[in-house]
Amino acid sequence: MTTDTLHPLAAEYLESLRRAGRGLPPGRLRELLAEIEGHLSEAIDPSASDAQVLTVLDKLGEPEAIIEAETPHPDEPPDRRGVREWAAIILLLFGGFIVGFGWIAGLILLWSSRAWTTRDKWIGTLVVPGGLATSVVIGLVATGAPTKHLCRGIVGGAQHCTSAAGPSNMSSILGVAVFAVLVLAPIATSVYLARRASQR
Amino acid sequence: MAAIRETGISQLRRGVLEFCVLALLRDGERYSYELVRALGDADGLVTTEGTLYPLLARLRREGVVETTWRESPSGPPRRYYHLTPDGQAALGGFATEWTRFRDSVDALIGNGVLR
Repeated sequence: MTTDTLHPLAAEYLESLRRAGRGLPPGRLRELLAEIEGHLSEAIDPSASDAQVLTVLDKLGEPEAIIEAETPHPDEPPDRRGVREWAAIILLLFGGFIVGFGWIAGLILLWSSRAWTTRDKWIGTLVVPGGLATSVVIGLVATGAPTKHLCRGIVGGAQHCTSAAGPSNMSSILGVAVFAVLVLAPIATSVYLARRASQR
Repeated sequence: MAAIRETGISQLRRGVLEFCVLALLRDGERYSYELVRALGDADGLVTTEGTLYPLLARLRREGVVETTWRESPSGPPRRYYHLTPDGQAALGGFATEWTRFRDSVDALIGNGVLR
């Protein structure tokens, strides 16, 4: 803090800004105070007269007005995770199991919501398209196919099966790892989207 | 209902200001105080300079600008702002719409019923 080097009137102003902003989330208030303090130290020369300092403070405006501008608008509550946002997150994750339509519905909700930035929306769309359903399908195809048993009908009352060329240990470990990433990625995306919607 | 208390001009100002910030960054980065002074010095654009800092914070959260801290030759480090591709796109879109909007309003005020 360089408050000590500020003109007393400027320090007083900063203090009333701090008091007015007690209702803000601490991180936001800290950032705002740092910005205003930077402004004051740039705008006010160490040798400035009281009148010059008061002019700078007048231009900045009432502390209450600045805090009000930082406070989220009444019709956009700080936590923007409404029904739409939760529905989008859940549908993106599990909607793929509902013949794929669920995921597309989730996608529409995601892109129509104002709780996320375009970047967030692309992450929600691309990691992983189809959500967990895609992960499960890819997992089944990848791990199921090579271990499939070939059955050649009934021989002597028992089904006669021969195992097709099974996967090596290496490739099954790799398969499990890929599957784990495929399951974890959409879950991580959901957590990310839920957090982002509350931050903005 | 709170929004109705705002006058048309202050609403207009609020809507346009963020694009003025983006426009100031079109040719390169600037730090917070530079941006605030440039906007504050423009006639009739800003009434309270302090409220621009919350605006800058919102633009950061929206991802239309990004910032880098740099040492300043005098005083505390400065936060430099630059446009993101999203910000460039937003500015481009606004510039086109604004020209149409301004021309239409000018035409009405200049040649329409008001004269």
